[in-house]
Order: sequence, then structure tokens, then C-alpha cells
Amino acid sequence: MPWNKLKPRFQFLVSGFSFLERSAAAKLPPGNKKPETRNFLLAITLIFLLMASAPSAEEKQLSVYGPQVNYSLPVWEHNGQDYVALLEVLEPFGNVNATADGDRWKLRFNSLEVEFRKDAAAGKVAGQKLTLPAPFVLEDNRGLVPLRALPGIVGRLLGTKTEYHEAARRLFVGGAGTHFTTDFGQGKLTVSFSAAVNPSISTEPGRLRMTFNRDPVVSATYLLRQENPLASLVMFSEDNGQAELVIEGRMPLLAQFSADRKTIDIVAAPGAAQTAAAQSAVAVPPPPTLQSLTAKPPFVVMLDAGHGGDDLGAMLNETLEEKTVTLVFARRLRNELQNHGINVIMARDADVTVPLEQRAAMADAARVAVYLGLHATSQGSGVRVYTAMLNSASAPPGTFLPWDTAQAKYLLSSRALSDIVRAEFGKHEIPSAAVAAPVLPLNHLAAAALAVEIGPPSSEAASVNAGVFQQRVATALAEAIVVGRSRVEAER
Amino acid sequence: MNRALSITTALLLAAVLCMGAYLYYLRGNERARAQNVPDTRPISAPISGPPSRVTFWVAYDNPGVLRAQEANIAVPDDPAQRGREILHALLGEYVKRPSPHEMPSGADVKDVYLVDPNTAVVDATADFADGHRSGIFVETLTVASLVKTLTANLPGVTRVKILVDGKERETLAGHADLEDFYDAGTVEQLIGQLQ
Repeated sequence: MPWNKLKPRFQFLVSGFSFLERSAAAKLPPGNKKPETRNFLLAITLIFLLMASAPSAEEKQLSVYGPQVNYSLPVWEHNGQDYVALLEVLEPFGNVNATADGDRWKLRFNSLEVEFRKDAAAGKVAGQKLTLPAPFVLEDNRGLVPLRALPGIVGRLLGTKTEYHEAARRLFVGGAGTHFTTDFGQGKLTVSFSAAVNPSISTEPGRLRMTFNRDPVVSATYLLRQENPLASLVMFSEDNGQAELVIEGRMPLLAQFSADRKTIDIVAAPGAAQTAAAQSAVAVPPPPTLQSLTAKPPFVVMLDAGHGGDDLGAMLNETLEEKTVTLVFARRLRNELQNHGINVIMARDADVTVPLEQRAAMADAARVAVYLGLHATSQGSGVRVYTAMLNSASAPPGTFLPWDTAQAKYLLSSRALSDIVRAEFGKHEIPSAAVAAPVLPLNHLAAAALAVEIGPPSSEAASVNAGVFQQRVATALAEAIVVGRSRVEAER
Repeated sequence: MNRALSITTALLLAAVLCMGAYLYYLRGNERARAQNVPDTRPISAPISGPPSRVTFWVAYDNPGVLRAQEANIAVPDDPAQRGREILHALLGEYVKRPSPHEMPSGADVKDVYLVDPNTAVVDATADFADGHRSGIFVETLTVASLVKTLTANLPGVTRVKILVDGKERETLAGHADLEDFYDAGTVEQLIGQLQ
């Protein structure tokens, strides 16, 4: 919480404290003003202060991670767009000051200048013209820039590479990022980080959650590890300036930190270990893989943002790449699904190359209920929904499915979901069509699987990347998954 | 406004108009050149024999359908060569400008092999895939057009595999599967859905 925002609350509370102290002191007889009274009031004040300064669950925030600094800032909404105060973003990186002169707002960062005009969607940054995706906002002499323009502005001023995770509102400056690996062995799951981390740990039935508020933890994939005796699923997610690592346990779990805080061991909680030992003394437990085959896995949706990394996908216009559009759309859809309480894993959440077969293998290993391959096109308009071009009659009986035709067994479920998706698009007045098509990797998926190709809503190809349009499509798709969930569950 | 200023303004205006006209002329030239894309595909050996009736299943991006078009062309008697010539003629329609389903110049079929009475393998040129537009729908139309045209004109062929420059390729242009064999029945269903 920046001081600018905290200051009014703090001043109010300091005034309140002074008032309370004076009142309490007045009620005490002279010479009986104990220091305990002051300490008590101070403690109460501090509690209020902390409560007031803590961000509420709904408050949007941006996290910025630099080589030396990590911090979070509040995000404001103006006309449906997210904004952030530019001065506060730059303060930790160098000498910065800003002045407002009428409608003009100037900022000096080290030796570079930034200039914007109130309500203008263009300005100058370091001597170069910059177009903003939404008008500049000047509020109480504080300059607010659209969040989507921030990576460009910061990159230009710092002269370094920035990476922005838009849906999660996380900005990585100068290659900042803490990577991690997971390794299962000797009855524990070890998560090793490339730098010290300080997550907050919470547990709930069947789940251990690590929330990284200040650590620039990143992962190229959302599904990290699954199917071992300790945990059924390890998932990474990021949202509202935070990253989260969730471990779906088969028993109550406990997190143990190493001294350098670079390694976290996830082990069975002591009671759980004893119970497991007692059970093994009386009966040989079935192999965990068999358990996992017979138990119905949780309802998880995999979102596969098409292409990525070296694979650009289609060029939707001279500058807009399909891989960029699909990732932005996947993040929007993830938010929508999570708002409906649906677990989501992403085949990729960064600009990385993930082979098509690996995407399918990831979905099958996680035993997802629904797979959505997301694509974008500049051809035609509306949304096309594709199912695999297979014959459902070719589905073999039994548990094991051939890789090339794994989808055949789930084809009816996929087609039913396709119908539901189209019906929801109809309700949202989004033109759509459904067809079977030879799209990779649909044939390899052992789940209800669709490929969704979104086309531009107008003759302008770039409109496929418009936030309002994508949000409509994401809302309709998420609602379709909610409606179709029971149907999909019934056929698993 | 004095006389000198009037003359200067008039000259500048005239210069602007002349340059505008010249730019318009250059744009027209450029358009004409873009429409006359040279066909860089290798020239086929002349075909002898009487013309026979063949059916092309031509893809139309707009409105996104395949339409049957019959034509009388000279094709060899050998089924594999016959398949190659028919696909060569089909792709010739796509490399022309304007085309209902544009493909890059150089998109062609090098050979068609009949590995058994039911299975045909099409070997396309590298340009066919490298320059193909990327997108699920456009790639699907291409594959469906090739497979349906081949199976419609080579009786008995029910499975088709597409290679690119003699090698297996994962996708046509990022979406359509080129690893598997295409079954004539499922392609028929797809065309039915498109209609």
C-alpha cells in the first residue's frame, strides 16, 4: 500500500488515537495516567491501522518485480479500464518527480522526461511519442496511466526488458523472476526455488495453498506434478498481483522451509502419517496409480492458449500474432471460470513453446474433465467450435485408450458440450458455428475436448483482441462449462 | 496576396496534384502486378489421351464451403499419375488470383502414390505448406478439398495421407493434422457439415 493512499487513513487514526488518549487520560485521576493505558490504545490503533491498510478481497492490485525491489500498488478503474499511478510505479527505481500544470502533466525520471495531457490518448516518453490504449487520467495532480500501457512506458524509461502478465496484473522488470522445480521422493514433495521465497501458507481440507505476495514466482505451465501417493495435483496459478501454488493432497499436508528459504518440503502432517502407517500395518494398500484410476478425479478444465514461443500462429494483421491473442483470451477465460468456482490449469501462461503432443499429454495426465484449445483468426467473424474429426464407433472398450484415437471415447461428450457452448453463444448474441475438424491435438485427449477459434467481430482484424469482445466470449464460454458440467461429469 | 505568392501557391498546388496522380498510377500498377502472380510451379509433362470428366471439390473461403465442379481435362490412365494431375489442376485454381481459396505460388503436388488399393499418399511441395495461411478453418478447407477431390476421382481410395516435400509433417500451418491418415468417410461428413 503506497504512502499516498495510506497517509489519509493513518492521519485519521493518529488523530483518533490522540483523541482517545486525551479522553482516557481525562477520566483518570491526576497522577494515575498509567503507561498501560497508552500501550493498550496504541495496540488498538495499530490493529485498526493494519485492518485499514490491508487490501480488501475485491481491491485490484498490481505487483511489480524488479531485480532489487518487489512491491504492490493499488489499481484504479476509470471507464472500465484499469489504471495505475505512474509516479508510484517508478519511485523505487530512481529519482522521480512529477508536476501538473493545468491539463499537462510532466514527470522526470532520472534524466528522462514523460509528458501526458489529461484525457489524451497519446503522450511522450523519453522523447518518443507513445499511444495509450485509453486516455490519460489526471486526478488530484496524480497522473494515472492505463495498466496495459505500463510495460511499454517502464521498459522505455528503464531501458530494460519488461514482461507483463496482464490477467494476473504482474509486471516483471529486467528479467526478474523466481523459477522453481518440483521433485517427489522419499515421501515428500520438494519444491526448489531459484531464490529465497516467503509465501504465506494456508491449509484447508485436502489442500495446501502457498500464496506468494511479494515473490516473483513464475511458471511456464500450470500443471506441475500429479499422481503420487502424497498429492493428486500440484497447480500453479496467478491472479491479482499474486502467485499461488496449490497442492491437492491425498492426506493432510505440512510445509517445511529450509534455512535459506529456497526449498519447501511438503510432507504428510504427523497425524496423517501415523494413520497411514496404521493402515499399512493391517492391510496392503492398493498401488496409488490404481487408486487414481478408480477414483473420480476433480472437475478441472484445461485451457490451452494456442501456439506460443517460436510458434507465432497466424498473423492476424501486420503486427498482431495469434499466440498473443490466445494467451490474453485464455487468461480472461480462466478468471471467468475461477469466478464460477471451477479449477483451471493452463497449458501455458507465458510466451513459451509447448509442443502439441505435450499439451495433450499434460491434459491426459491431469485427467482433466474438459479441454479447450483456444485459437484466433482474422478470417470470417464470430466463433467456430471444433470437435475432433473421428468416428465415435471406433472407441475401443476397456480402460486403456490408443493415443491416436483417445478422443473417440469422449466424442459424444465433446459434441454435447459443443452444442451447449453454441447455445450459450446464442444467448449472448455471438455468431457461432460448429464443425468437426482435424485440429491437433484433439484426437489425443481423453476428455471432453473442443477447439475454439475466435474471429474478429468487425472487418478490422485487430478487433479480435478487443477486451470487451473477448470478455463477452469468455463469459459465454464459462457459462457453457457451468451448464455442461453435469453432462460431462456423467460421462467420465 | 501579392502576385508572386499567388503564383507560388498555384505551382505548389499543381505539384501536389501531379504527385497525387502519379501515386495513383503507381498504386494501380502495383495492384495489377499483385493480381498477376507468376505460377512458379514446375511445368508438367504434356498429357496425351482423350479428355475425361473429373470432379474438383473446390474450397470457397467465403462462405466456407466445398463445391463440386466438373471439368473435362486430359489425364493419364495410370491411377497415381491421374491423381497427381487432378490435384495439380485443383491447386492451379488456388494459386491463381483472384482465387476462392488463395494459396501461395509454388503450391503443388509433386507425386501421388497408391500404397495399396485403398490408400493414397500425396506428396506436396514445401511451398504448399510453408506459405499456407494459418488458421483452423482455412487449413481444414484445404485438406478436405484435396482428400475429397482425390477420393472422388480415384475409385476405391478411402484413406489419404499428406506428406510435404517427401516428409511427414505435424500440421499444415499450425492447426490441421498431417500426421494421421484421412478417412474418406469422415471427410465426407465434414463436407456435409460445412454445407
